[in-house]
Amino acid sequence: MSHAFFRSIFRVLPLLLVLSPVNSSSCTMGNKTTEIRVKYENILSHDIEELVNISAEYRDRCCKNKRHEHNKVFFCNDTQEIESLQSMACNMLKFFNKQKINKEFRRKAALVSCGTLQVLQCKCGRHKKEKVCMQVNAPNNEDTETVEQLKKKCNQEFCELKENISSLRSCWNKFEKIISR
Amino acid sequence: VALRDVAMGMVGWGVECILFNEEYMTCTWGSGQTLTANYSLYYWYENRSPVAECKQYLWERGVRTGCRFEQSEIIQFQPFHVRVNASQDGRILEIPSNRMELQNLVKPEAPVNLTIRNMSSNQLQLTWSSPYPKAHCLEHVVKYKSNKDTSWMKQEVKGDIFSFPSVDYEKFYTFYVRSKINNYCGSTQLWSEWSVPVFWGSNTTSKGMAEEQLQWFWIHTVLIPIASCLLLLVLVVLLVRMERVWVIIMPRIPNPNKNFDDLFITHNGDFQEWVGVPKDVVESFKPNYSESICHVSELPYEPLQDSIHPPGVPGPQEHGPYKNSYVGA
Repeated sequence: MSHAFFRSIFRVLPLLLVLSPVNSSSCTMGNKTTEIRVKYENILSHDIEELVNISAEYRDRCCKNKRHEHNKVFFCNDTQEIESLQSMACNMLKFFNKQKINKEFRRKAALVSCGTLQVLQCKCGRHKKEKVCMQVNAPNNEDTETVEQLKKKCNQEFCELKENISSLRSCWNKFEKIISR
Repeated sequence: VALRDVAMGMVGWGVECILFNEEYMTCTWGSGQTLTANYSLYYWYENRSPVAECKQYLWERGVRTGCRFEQSEIIQFQPFHVRVNASQDGRILEIPSNRMELQNLVKPEAPVNLTIRNMSSNQLQLTWSSPYPKAHCLEHVVKYKSNKDTSWMKQEVKGDIFSFPSVDYEKFYTFYVRSKINNYCGSTQLWSEWSVPVFWGSNTTSKGMAEEQLQWFWIHTVLIPIASCLLLLVLVVLLVRMERVWVIIMPRIPNPNKNFDDLFITHNGDFQEWVGVPKDVVESFKPNYSESICHVSELPYEPLQDSIHPPGVPGPQEHGPYKNSYVGA
């Protein structure tokens, strides 16, 4: 009788592990939508707008054929907007060390990523990415490139970053619309 | 007619979609005046739905010019694609559209229920409501002017209250409001239509002002020009008819001809003679002037017989430093 009991327990435990939610969010703001909205509207939205404007100054033609339509990172899933924003922000942090992209542009993108993670109180899977946020806030004393120099650079990583920015902005719009009801 | 030309009849070679207040959407590609072919619209959402054909076409002069989408067919925050097929004489031309984000194509309805309240210290407060369901996603612009202003003033407003700081009670004000999705909820440049206006100021003032303006209109545009023309005409007639007045305004130019009659008639144009220059002066200015010596001598003095001068007293001709003759020039 006893080994039958233990056998049933052993079946249940793995079952519990399988049925537990795989993508549990590491964001702690959760239902504090008012606080999120205030921080987004007063601070983060302006940084996002500035980043989008800088991104728009780059020639769009070079990225038309490089669209990453099937990259799930760029989806803002219904009822999972916070998780989608977390995923986009963490993904965007990886571009901070991509040397082929203009340094100031990378820095601003990382700033927006870190701001998103901070507002939503989220963490990324790899803790290395949070170290980027420490570097981002340090002042940049090096000379920034001119707009003309910016316009010349176009590569796959750059196009992916542009798309990431656009998706992040749209997802924030969607989230804001939902919590504005 | 080439099919390409047919397709070019479409507005800007593209499809324009607008979400009206998030209740329905229209995607149009031209007007009945320029389009001649048979058009079909197909649409799909990226990674979500299969390609579907428009269920409700918009028609103009017997030609399909657009498609209407009901609310159930609209999904925001999902990349949206449209393809229009233009067919004529058995040939088909596909015209794809750009990738669209429908949340950026929302055009809210105009604000309604504009209300003005008098606040303390000459302040007005304008409030309104919007048919758009998410008021927090809107930004507004208030357009206003008084009856004394010539141009409109515009003010951007985040919420749905506008405070007018100092109002003049002798003026009559007009207010309009329109709305747009703000940057928090989308990225669009589509403003709503202007609302129905609301007025502030006394009604009698407005009527009186209208009548007064009408009077000024007749005076400025009719009476004054006619009176000016009549006055001008009278003056011209007077000028022409009254020589006394004409002479004062246009005095005769004096003619010095008579003063020179003596010169030309009497002296035959000899200016020097007319002026009265002595002949010797005239002669002296001639380049070949030579003066002849003129000998002048005195006749010897023959005194009378001892009756006039006593003996021993010389006569005038025996004394004096001068000779008996002198050379005259």
